[in-house]
Amino acid sequence: MTEVSLLSLTKSYGKAAALKGISLKIGHGEFVSLLGPSGCGKSTTLKCIAGFEDVTDGKILFDNRDISRKLPEDRDIGMVFQSYALFPHMSVAQNLAFGLEMRRVPKDQIAARVARAMEMVQLGAYADRYPKALSGGQQQRVALARALVIEPAIMLLDEPLANLDAKLRDEMRGFIRDLQKRVGITTIYVTHDQGEAMTMSDRVVVMFDGEIAQAAAPETVYDRPASERVARFVGNANILELPVAGQGGQIVLPGGHALQIAAPVPWAGGRLRVMARPEQIALTEPSAGHLGGRVARRYFSGGHVEYHVDTDCGPLIVLCPTSRSYAEGEAVGLQFDAERLWPMQRTGLPEEAAA
Amino acid sequence: MRRLRASILILPSAALIFLFIVLPYVNVLVMSFRAPADGQPYGEGFSLQGYVQFFSESYYALSLPQSLLLGALTTALCLILAYPVALHIATASKRWRGILYGIVLSPLLVGIVVRSYGWTILLGNSGVINSTLREMGLITRPLPLMYNNFGVVLALAHVFLPFMVLPLLSSLQAMDPAVQQAARSLGAGRLTIFRRITLPISMPGIQSGCILVFVLAISSYVTPALVGGMRVKTTTLLVVDALIDQFQWPFGSAMALTLAVSAGIVVLVFARLTRIKWS
Repeated sequence: MTEVSLLSLTKSYGKAAALKGISLKIGHGEFVSLLGPSGCGKSTTLKCIAGFEDVTDGKILFDNRDISRKLPEDRDIGMVFQSYALFPHMSVAQNLAFGLEMRRVPKDQIAARVARAMEMVQLGAYADRYPKALSGGQQQRVALARALVIEPAIMLLDEPLANLDAKLRDEMRGFIRDLQKRVGITTIYVTHDQGEAMTMSDRVVVMFDGEIAQAAAPETVYDRPASERVARFVGNANILELPVAGQGGQIVLPGGHALQIAAPVPWAGGRLRVMARPEQIALTEPSAGHLGGRVARRYFSGGHVEYHVDTDCGPLIVLCPTSRSYAEGEAVGLQFDAERLWPMQRTGLPEEAAA
Repeated sequence: MRRLRASILILPSAALIFLFIVLPYVNVLVMSFRAPADGQPYGEGFSLQGYVQFFSESYYALSLPQSLLLGALTTALCLILAYPVALHIATASKRWRGILYGIVLSPLLVGIVVRSYGWTILLGNSGVINSTLREMGLITRPLPLMYNNFGVVLALAHVFLPFMVLPLLSSLQAMDPAVQQAARSLGAGRLTIFRRITLPISMPGIQSGCILVFVLAISSYVTPALVGGMRVKTTTLLVVDALIDQFQWPFGSAMALTLAVSAGIVVLVFARLTRIKWS
């Protein structure tokens, strides 16, 4: 197991800066996702760690060994690509054996380790197949086995599920996570899919414009985002701008209802922007809610219904169980889960409380 | 019904192929078994005379290995020259790729007679190369650059280079660039990647390029005639000689067919040896 440290990593292409000083420590056996929109620098970070991109400035350490100037072939990494990148002219077993041959592992050991790796990804019966004869999911499992069979220091995954259909993608999430836990390998996973990042990772690193916006456990990133931009990127976020009453911690809704916020608010007076996730708001009778509104749109999606509700705080998204249904145009009351309302700075910059 | 309609669409090209390829071949096949005659193209009845004459007289028979050798050498030279070019174009930027593509195709813009004649100007005993070297005092007698296999193979390779570059290029471009990165991440150096990844993956391109160039080289007439004179004696030269100058249609047809069948066998054996199991 290996610890990975990125120390003020910078990458520029001419004048354009792709990474503006990334610092991150990834622990032994930790599963970390780099999450962000395209162009945020997550893939560049991964390529720098893999060695496919030169670092402009800064260092990459594997267990305190500086590897930033090493060639990719000398870094001891296992990498899984979006396109799987299997060797088309080699059978499954030959694909797996390649990395071991490069490491000059004796022949009899290669056979044994390849067989074990194929069992690990449940592809024992496919040893002699060529990649073309495998389904997308099977190819992805071969790619995983090929990366892991060499027992690398760390595993890097570059949007490995992006080419799979939705159902298979959900299966593979669990499969990859289980495998990673069993092997206990330090893993860095790049994705633009927040659901993937949330379900699989020990820690999610949200990146925007070549910088880390927040690095925290999935629950923290979701419930206590460091900025409005993080809040909006990770799931749906309702942002309400409300006056603060008294010494802070209490916000006043249009209509007069005051809510006590659980999260510490380090400033008093003025106005505060708070975030409420759609499932942290409940719909009730108009008289019973903290805030009145009218259903503008209703989207049924099986397990729950998403309502777009027009209120005096602007349009809000509410996610409800299907037990009680409201029609479009119907007047409703909105009830907030005050405990989980999360205060953000007006400017939306990362702030102390969330760090 | 749908099948029927689809096959109707093939009719024009099928008719064309039948009229201008199948029928003439049948004609050549029949002609090769006709009896020879004096003062006219062919005589009454059938005989094996054409084939017997070709294989029994070394003057003719030896032209076949000569043609095959020329094809093999041209193919090998083209492959060696074309591979680095294709590799370079495949990894070049989009703009450069267009320019390089144009350069590779440019030999095809000049007619084959002109191109071959151009080589005679360069390679002749008093040609550009020999006279330059002589004036520089490096040689006293001209180097034998023409009227031998060297000159003909060189000129043929020049002519057929694009036919090797293009299939190689398409197979290299079809390769996922991440495959090479994957190989590197597994610990392979550049040379190993070329030997174990790039080269085998480009095998379909090598295969079709080689077959294309070999077939073209073996059936070439103008270049061996101009650059080789009658001293590089290919079967094609003898075929034309028999058909047009000597007016012996059965003999010419027999030689042409023998050449075609030999080339076909070589191609089949080559394709068999380089069979690609993985795609």
